[in-house]
Amino acid sequence: MWMIALQRFLILCLTLVIISLLAFLVPYMSGGDPVRTIVQSRVGDMAVDPASVEAMRVQLGLDQPLSVQYLGWLWNALHGDFGYSFVSRSPVGPEVARALVVSFTLAMSALGIALAVALPLGTLSAMRPGKAVDTVATFVTQTFVAVPEYWFAPMAVLVFSLYLGLLPSAGWEGPASLVLPAVVLSLRPLAYFTRVSRAAMMDVLQAPYITAARSRGLNMNQTVVHHGIRNGAMPVVTLFALWLAGLLGGSVVVEVIFAIPGMGRLIYEAVVNKDVPTLQGSFVCIVALSVLINTLADALYILLNPAVRIRHVH
Amino acid sequence: MSINHLAPSAPTILDPARSTDPSTVAQAIRFIRQRHWSFAVGSLLFLTIAVLLIISPWIIPHDPAAQSLVRRLAGPSAQHWLGTDHLGRDLLSRLLIGGRFSVAIAAVTLILCAVIGTLLGVVSARTGGLTDEIVMRVVDLLISFPDVIVAIFMIAIFGPGYGTLIASLTIVGWTPFARMARGLALEINSREYIRAAEVLGCTKTFIIFRHVIPNAIRPIAAISFLRFGHKLITVGGLSFLGLGVQPPNADWALMLAESQAYAERAPLLVVAPGLAIFLTALSVTWIGQGLEMKGRNASKVTQ
Repeated sequence: MWMIALQRFLILCLTLVIISLLAFLVPYMSGGDPVRTIVQSRVGDMAVDPASVEAMRVQLGLDQPLSVQYLGWLWNALHGDFGYSFVSRSPVGPEVARALVVSFTLAMSALGIALAVALPLGTLSAMRPGKAVDTVATFVTQTFVAVPEYWFAPMAVLVFSLYLGLLPSAGWEGPASLVLPAVVLSLRPLAYFTRVSRAAMMDVLQAPYITAARSRGLNMNQTVVHHGIRNGAMPVVTLFALWLAGLLGGSVVVEVIFAIPGMGRLIYEAVVNKDVPTLQGSFVCIVALSVLINTLADALYILLNPAVRIRHVH
Repeated sequence: MSINHLAPSAPTILDPARSTDPSTVAQAIRFIRQRHWSFAVGSLLFLTIAVLLIISPWIIPHDPAAQSLVRRLAGPSAQHWLGTDHLGRDLLSRLLIGGRFSVAIAAVTLILCAVIGTLLGVVSARTGGLTDEIVMRVVDLLISFPDVIVAIFMIAIFGPGYGTLIASLTIVGWTPFARMARGLALEINSREYIRAAEVLGCTKTFIIFRHVIPNAIRPIAAISFLRFGHKLITVGGLSFLGLGVQPPNADWALMLAESQAYAERAPLLVVAPGLAIFLTALSVTWIGQGLEMKGRNASKVTQ
């Protein structure tokens, strides 16, 4: 048990080192002299003076060996200091933190909607497999998987903002602006949650303790509420964590469409504006968080499920 | 299939060409009848879309790049069946040609992912020990990377291009296949006939290619089709952001992005390309589901 925890922790550290190294090397891998790029960004369209490039190189400590530079960069990064954005000239750290809060709110709302619909739907489907509820639920939710969010979002804006005028079409002001993006984002997780909770409930309803509960005289609904849902929800919890990790940075398209100042838009704009410090900061944070959340989800799964805890093989 | 089992079967052996043809068709029909209905519908839809995309250069009514600012944002007419976009280009022609890049990129990525993932998964299950441990830890790790972010990061470094796109989506995309193939291979490895093959002295490679992969192929095919839709939507999303297929080319997601500003004046410009992506993704999803689930006819036919 502790060996697995230690192993996971070491892998986590190794990943973070690799990710940070990749991010650190961005200016060197993308070709061109990074110092020249910085000077160029300061002087705008004017010609770059070679002497000022060299002066800047020494001033920034970029004449030192790469390993020294990397350790210095990593040390600062660990303190939340990723330097200053080329575009806004403000520190990247706080910008990333702000964006993370926004993306977290959005992801939790979307997953909350998905969970609120999927758990009851999956349970109902599992209680009457092959019947009308099951067939329709499976069909409809599986269709959601194929809906591109960059199609659904403009259509939703067209109907609810332009035609009906009920909800704001973009921006991040108040709960009303959260509704459309959260609903758009919830479609795909909803499909997966329904599928998994249905399968889990099917398994649970076959279990001996359900038969035992039924033979003690509980009716089907009581049995499901008292014994079924708690056990059937476990795989969904793991999936929830996976989706949370995925949506923190993965909702780029939706954030861009709805002009939401989240992680996805931050990294997208960093790429478009060639804003290297912001790109590095947001990339490291997103990937580190995804890996961390996944590791925690695995740990949670092992802790919640005694059967897995005892024989930890995949 | 003759009723008289004792009848000589020599004529069928003498004429193999005649005997194989109906049997493959019959086999295909039987295969489809055993599946869920969604397999047949999905296959039909996907084949139609694929054929249309392949022959599109010869059937499009107009040049998809030809602009005509006089006729911009026109509604459907006899000349332009679906109307024109904001630059006066024929929507139908662009729609027919616009799926070629994204569907091809998604397909290539998917095949790469499936092949790499399956091979690594099967080999690590067969080899065990340190190899298995390392491959599976790498899978644990990469599976939690958001694929869009990795793609955006790589495009930021190497610039937009089809190679970058395929490579970045493959780096993360092979992991589910590896996990699944390993699970299937472990199960197959515990079967009697694998023991028999080992006792007979078959090599590891032979067992993998002769027994393990053929037995694991159907669930992997199912998951491949299910992932295909996901890949197509991801590629489209990157094109939508301007990081995938580049502007002079017609592309469904790109058309969506370009016509967003005109959504209120000409809703068809937004509806049509999105519907094309949706139907393509839906068709492959249905194929995948149909492969996974047994249809109603299954029990009737097999028993």
